[in-house]
Amino acid sequence: MLLTIFLLGLVYAVLIAVLIAAGAGAVTIAIVAAGLFAVQLFTSDKIALASMGAREVTPQEAPQLHAIVDRLCVQANIPKPRVAIAQTPMPNAFAVGRSPKTATVCATTGILQLLDPAELEAVLGHEVTHVLNRDVVVMTIASFFASIAAFITQFGFFFGGGFGGGRNNQNNNNGFIFVILISAAVYVISFLLLQALSRYREFAADRGSAILTGRPSALISALLKIDGGMSRIPQRDLRAASSELAAFYIFPPKVKQGLSSLFSTHPPLTARIERLQRLEAQLQGTA
Amino acid sequence: MGRRKLAQPAPDRLFAMSTAYVTMETGMGLTSRGTAAIVFQPLATADFESIVRDMEEVVRATASDSGTTVTSSDDTYGFRWLVLRGSDFDDLVVGINAVSSALEAGGYGERVLCAVFGFDDSRTKRPVYWIYNYKRGAFYPFAPAPGSEHRDNEREFVLKAQIGKDLPVEQELDRWFPLWGTPI
Repeated sequence: MLLTIFLLGLVYAVLIAVLIAAGAGAVTIAIVAAGLFAVQLFTSDKIALASMGAREVTPQEAPQLHAIVDRLCVQANIPKPRVAIAQTPMPNAFAVGRSPKTATVCATTGILQLLDPAELEAVLGHEVTHVLNRDVVVMTIASFFASIAAFITQFGFFFGGGFGGGRNNQNNNNGFIFVILISAAVYVISFLLLQALSRYREFAADRGSAILTGRPSALISALLKIDGGMSRIPQRDLRAASSELAAFYIFPPKVKQGLSSLFSTHPPLTARIERLQRLEAQLQGTA
Repeated sequence: MGRRKLAQPAPDRLFAMSTAYVTMETGMGLTSRGTAAIVFQPLATADFESIVRDMEEVVRATASDSGTTVTSSDDTYGFRWLVLRGSDFDDLVVGINAVSSALEAGGYGERVLCAVFGFDDSRTKRPVYWIYNYKRGAFYPFAPAPGSEHRDNEREFVLKAQIGKDLPVEQELDRWFPLWGTPI
């Protein structure tokens, strides 16, 4: 998904550069870009749902799921979004849509099987918070602005070198590649900032879930189950662990986050759990 | 950072349980089941066995004054459980410390795995345990749930939040190893 978003924006940036080089006026470019943006804004949710194979379900088909969404929407004071289920063993839940009125919350069959009711409610609380915060719109607009930033860079170059006085074709040929590179670089920087914004909004959605459900620890438990990795609370008995690994004396290697964290749309699991634990401590009055 | 010496037990932090129990009783809905145990790996040497016997004698002698009983049993993993039962919670803590001190004094400190304290959870109506890992010098909660080898992670996180700074709690979640089939 990360690569998709990156390439999408790069496509915008390169397209705009090509249009400029082909001699299209600023107004034409603005119309084309705005048109593409509108298409993205109005159809991305349908595309996302279709790509997951999600199917809307009625309250009769999925009573427990609807009941959870009902409760959350009353708490969040938003109109109830559509509810969909995607048939896949991968545990996942997501929300799409421009506004609470046009939103859909989707859960996979994988997550419905994996989590117990309290954990599922916590995860859906996270998704409902995304709907409440209109995160889809925010991120779409933000990513559009990243492309605009690249567009302005390109326009600035051409304005300085070409459009102002007479058009010098010689300069345009050499400058063309240079402009593409610069606008791509501007885009990359904007992209990294976008990822930071996305991570911030993920923390906000975790916090929103804790507020809606009053059970931040249920979300921690759910995240650990979904992650299914090394950071889980272990199932293995203490006695088995101690004799097999001398696990008490050797510290397991911690995977370094490093550069990859810049490119991630979600904050690292340990950071999310730490914040949720702090929320629980605040709730319990021991923070 | 190679560690060739095995970590010795950290008994001092065990005593935090005595004061923490006040918080557990008053604010967390936990009541002691009157049981505590120390779990260690026995060595099949005469020296070790004699130390264990002496230690059991000492604990029995001091414990009987307060009405605390001591029993010993082996589990399926080959670990030995020394179980203390009594109504005075502070005596349980003292007794557990006496056992670990005796083992450490005999040079067998690294054979000690953990101490376990049993509680009744008034909120979930199920037992809850605080496990003390000697080598890490920290406690962590263990809340077994219905079903085979299930645990209530959410409850464990809530308990961790509720006890706050009153107990030294293990921060690394991947060291919260369960003790399935705890006999206390």
